[in-house]
Amino acid sequence: MKSLKTSKAWKNFLGFLVALPIWAFCLAYCFPIIYMFLTSFKSETDAVPPRLFFVPTLANYVTVLGSGIVPYLVNSIVITVLAMAGSILFGVPAAYAIVFGKLKNPDSIYFWFLSTTLLPAVSVIIPVFLVFKSLALLDTKLGMVMIYMGANIPIVVWMVRSFLKDIPIELQEAAEIDGASRTYSFFRIILPLAKGGIISTALLVFIFIWNEFFFAVNLTYVHAGTMPVFMASYMTQEGLFWAKLSAISTLTVLPPLILGWISQKALVRGMMMGAVKG
Amino acid sequence: MNATKVNRYGKVNALVLPSIILVALITQIPILVTLGLSVVRWIIVRPDLRINFVGISNYIQLFTNPDFLWIIVNTIVMTVGSIVACTVLGLVISLTLNRQFPGVNIARTILIAPFFVMDAVAGIVWKTLMLHPSFGINSIICNLFGITPVDFLGHHPMFTVIMLVVWQWTPFFVLILLAGLQSIPEEIIESAKMDGAGWLRTILQIKIPAIANHIEVAVMLGLIFILKVFGLIYVTTAGGPGTASTNLPFIVYRTGFYRWDVGRAAAMAVITVILTLVFINLLFTFVRRKSKEVEA
Repeated sequence: MKSLKTSKAWKNFLGFLVALPIWAFCLAYCFPIIYMFLTSFKSETDAVPPRLFFVPTLANYVTVLGSGIVPYLVNSIVITVLAMAGSILFGVPAAYAIVFGKLKNPDSIYFWFLSTTLLPAVSVIIPVFLVFKSLALLDTKLGMVMIYMGANIPIVVWMVRSFLKDIPIELQEAAEIDGASRTYSFFRIILPLAKGGIISTALLVFIFIWNEFFFAVNLTYVHAGTMPVFMASYMTQEGLFWAKLSAISTLTVLPPLILGWISQKALVRGMMMGAVKG
Repeated sequence: MNATKVNRYGKVNALVLPSIILVALITQIPILVTLGLSVVRWIIVRPDLRINFVGISNYIQLFTNPDFLWIIVNTIVMTVGSIVACTVLGLVISLTLNRQFPGVNIARTILIAPFFVMDAVAGIVWKTLMLHPSFGINSIICNLFGITPVDFLGHHPMFTVIMLVVWQWTPFFVLILLAGLQSIPEEIIESAKMDGAGWLRTILQIKIPAIANHIEVAVMLGLIFILKVFGLIYVTTAGGPGTASTNLPFIVYRTGFYRWDVGRAAAMAVITVILTLVFINLLFTFVRRKSKEVEA
């Protein structure tokens, strides 16, 4: 009895020994992010050159939020939320039609959507810029929402299709035999079953749009500029103020970081199934 | 009865249309326009030159320009180098993390973080806080060992950009590969051990083949995104010094939105698309050959 106890303690201790270097590695790997977070609470004199011990202050956040950041933050939120909602609103019904409809070539439509995600953004940027310029869509939220919807609907179709494929077709057929309308079964049977998958897809799309840099930097200036655009211009103008830079960076990365942590499991599942089930 | 059924499906089928129209409008038609623009000379800031059809002369000029050829090489080196490093590191880390130890979930969660950080921020943080030769962690560590701090971005721009890409994308590889490792049934590993397979053989002959699908997906998605790297370069090296760390997306941006040379930039964009397709094809043939070997 006693030896069993000690062996258990021993095992725990061994587990702890194994865990220690792994823990150290994970922390070291993310050190830049942790360091950025810490620096955002330093005064500028503590940040450059860096001091190990400092009195934490919220001054950077106060200054930063009082400067020109707010419109960009609002733009980021408005554009990201609208484009995400739009992508889901368009993409989920499309995925539904591909899985449960009677399309002639559902697979080739699916692969067409997939193929558009392969193409680099540079291949469309010049015509999009020219068209936006002539339609006065340049530097507008509407233009950015449209671009991001076009870029992310295929991702929604890709992921949501894999979640819908998990739902047995018999469920749909049973509902039909019972005389339920398509609309009814979509909202009452399919949607509740696929809810988790759709939400994690929405979160992934949110992260992609929030972090998007290429379109944002080329198609917006001041009116519809998003956080990455603000970051880049702040870096060139006031790149010496590392503490404030860190505060802006922290504000910028926090939303996708939190959403990413929430959705990571479903994210992997959706991506794997989308790819494997082909 | 039958008629109503057809009608019903007609309505369901129509649900796919809005998406197709919007996606085609925003991604497909512009690509065709890009193709068209690549055979004209059109410099927006020089209206006096007008828009002229020049055939394939844009392409000829690009391919006879050593700078541009180097940019293609840069793009290939950056993509292949990053993906190889991400795959190796991703495998090592996910194999390490694929065990039970106290706080395993938190450790995994922490490790994923760099992937969700936007590349503009990642670039800025590394450029200033980490690698700055006077005030970054770089200088602190170098001073500790009494050596002169290395000016990473100035002297080794390509290496540094690749390092940052790898830092951002390895967590993504870990995320996917770890999911693969966790889906291997315990019995298979156990029976391999019973047969006297050592840990290295278990990894090489059981675990890695078992997650081949996951490796494929990670490499595929990694390839697509790493070919597009832009924000990282924009905020760290701006493609420099010279064109030392310029890749195709960045030169398209420079040509199109700095020099406003629409025709040339469009030709570059077309070359980028072709390179992307070549890469994807190579990957697919490689994967197919591999899976045939396994079958044989």
